[in-house]
Amino acid sequence: MKVSDLLEARRENWQALEQLCSRLENRGRRQLDAPMVSEFASLYRSACADLALADAYQLPQETVHYLHQLVGRAHNQLYRSRLFNMRTWARQLLVDVPRRLFRDKALRLAFFIFWGVFLLSGSLSYVRSDFAQRVVGNEMLTQIEGMYAQPAGRDNPAFCCDRMGFYIAHNAGIGLRCFAMGLLFGVGGLLATIQNAAILGGVFGHMATTTQSDNFFRFVTAHGPYELTAVVMAAGAGMRLGFSLLDTKGQTRIASLRRAGAEAMPTMGAFLVLFSLAAMIEAFISPSSLPYAVKAGVAVFSIATLVFYFVFLGYPRDAGTAGRTAPPDTVGHLPSSPADARPEREMSQESTMPEGRRAVG
Amino acid sequence: MPVDDNGFMKVDTRQLDTRVRVVTPENIAFQYRIAGPFQRLPAYLIDLGIRVGVCLISSIGLTMIFGLAGLESVGQGLWLLLFFVLAWFYGCLFETFWNGQTPGKRLMRIRVLSIEGQAINASQATLRNILRVVDALPGFYLLGLISAAMNDRFQRLGDLACGTMVVSEEPHWLRDVAKVKEPDVLRLADRIPASFQPNRSLARALAAYVGRRAKFTPSRRIQIARYLGVPLREQLGLAQRTNLDYLLCALYNRAFVTDEAPESDEPETSATVTAQVMDGVNPFAPVVAREPAEVKLDEGI
Repeated sequence: MKVSDLLEARRENWQALEQLCSRLENRGRRQLDAPMVSEFASLYRSACADLALADAYQLPQETVHYLHQLVGRAHNQLYRSRLFNMRTWARQLLVDVPRRLFRDKALRLAFFIFWGVFLLSGSLSYVRSDFAQRVVGNEMLTQIEGMYAQPAGRDNPAFCCDRMGFYIAHNAGIGLRCFAMGLLFGVGGLLATIQNAAILGGVFGHMATTTQSDNFFRFVTAHGPYELTAVVMAAGAGMRLGFSLLDTKGQTRIASLRRAGAEAMPTMGAFLVLFSLAAMIEAFISPSSLPYAVKAGVAVFSIATLVFYFVFLGYPRDAGTAGRTAPPDTVGHLPSSPADARPEREMSQESTMPEGRRAVG
Repeated sequence: MPVDDNGFMKVDTRQLDTRVRVVTPENIAFQYRIAGPFQRLPAYLIDLGIRVGVCLISSIGLTMIFGLAGLESVGQGLWLLLFFVLAWFYGCLFETFWNGQTPGKRLMRIRVLSIEGQAINASQATLRNILRVVDALPGFYLLGLISAAMNDRFQRLGDLACGTMVVSEEPHWLRDVAKVKEPDVLRLADRIPASFQPNRSLARALAAYVGRRAKFTPSRRIQIARYLGVPLREQLGLAQRTNLDYLLCALYNRAFVTDEAPESDEPETSATVTAQVMDGVNPFAPVVAREPAEVKLDEGI
């Protein structure tokens, strides 16, 4: 049997596979019924085998290129991206993230730097009036002073929606930027954190000296806990990324970065949730004319949930959970001897394979 | 010069071009071509255009709809939320739900895959698009370009952090085996002994030659064919004035193309001579497949 005969014999199969691929690409996988799915799988395996035997069949180079492309296309339809799985995300957010953050040194560093700079900048601005002007800028200060000239009194929720959108877009944007900057060996994240803290501290310190201080502090009470925590979390998660490039725990820098990236993702989800909650409070509760006791109550409640999240959910429990979540310190260590290394690597490949994959249908 | 155990020079076999190999769970290796900056930039610009366009249109639309209802504030809030999602999560959402593609990427026929060749998951899609901010520093994606230039897979920092790469899905069309039907070639083919069958490496060289010969002038063809043609001419005992280009084509036909001659009643032994390529039976061929064509008798000799 010569190559031209072989191509003639295979042409039908390959073209059928091509057609199924186009259908999947254009209309999605739910459009195929069961027999077609099994036909797709069988055609895919057959094309794979043809590609594997291309050398033995002496297929021309052009046909081999065609087969590479055909198999790649079918492969991408067979193994599709996994969508958001609510259960895993919920477990990550409520179990894994708090435990990881509880022992995360980058988060502690971000916490101390943020609050240190915040208090320093605040007290300096309180003592010396020109400090806040230099850090924050005159324009922004007068704008903020203008905002709090009147006591809070926006009650109609329908008129607060624009605020909510603005706060989410603005604050979460700052947080995400701060997080991403952390990638620059943590330095970018440090600088972004210091900048955020200095400006916020400057505003707080300056407002304390003005006549609007009452309005201002009553305004920020309710949403403050969530928002400031979210800023610190964003900075900490970014630094975790950046520091993974410096302290690789024995892995290559890229591998260490990938591990940190996978760990940072749920944290990012957590701080986005906090930013959104803070924005809702800031839009609907903070500017309303509710009595101050209610706003303070909201703040106390927020602090209580944060303590519950970070301390109660995060407190390390060893019994019964060792199998489910490995402590982050042991994840990164490579086995010391090559004999140990092989089975573990094979095992991890096998165990990760089905996870990232999902077949059609 | 580095030398291996057998005393041969060590050849650096690392990837030289932009192809990466992917091994599937079926244990088949296939190749992808990595997409370079000049394929990714247009995709990015298309996506940017779509984002800006949607922002403008929705701004007008939301203002009108909610403005008429007297709820400008709700409209503005929704628009700001939409703006936030488009600015930060456009790529994440599309790459998650469109299997590693955004509209721009789909138009440019590129796709994001994890470096193992699998589809990316939601968290990879999110992280690589959030870290875009860093790649864009200090302007014009300079950091991303530097990072892409420093590794084999053109990965920007965001790609490195979540282990993804962007591959190109160039279309290849299935074409017939090239057939040389010039009468001189067919005449020459008759004079080649039927027992001669090109071996595998010779067949590959012949296929490469025939695939490219259309681009050369006749004298250039002879010049190129000389290296392989002269020894073959000696071996086959052909005349000195044999056209070497035609000789290679005739041998190519022998190896790849079935003779389109009427069935003859030659004894079956001649079939075994030409059938040595492979019987071409695919163990995984599906039931729907046509039965492989029977081995044709070669009328040769």
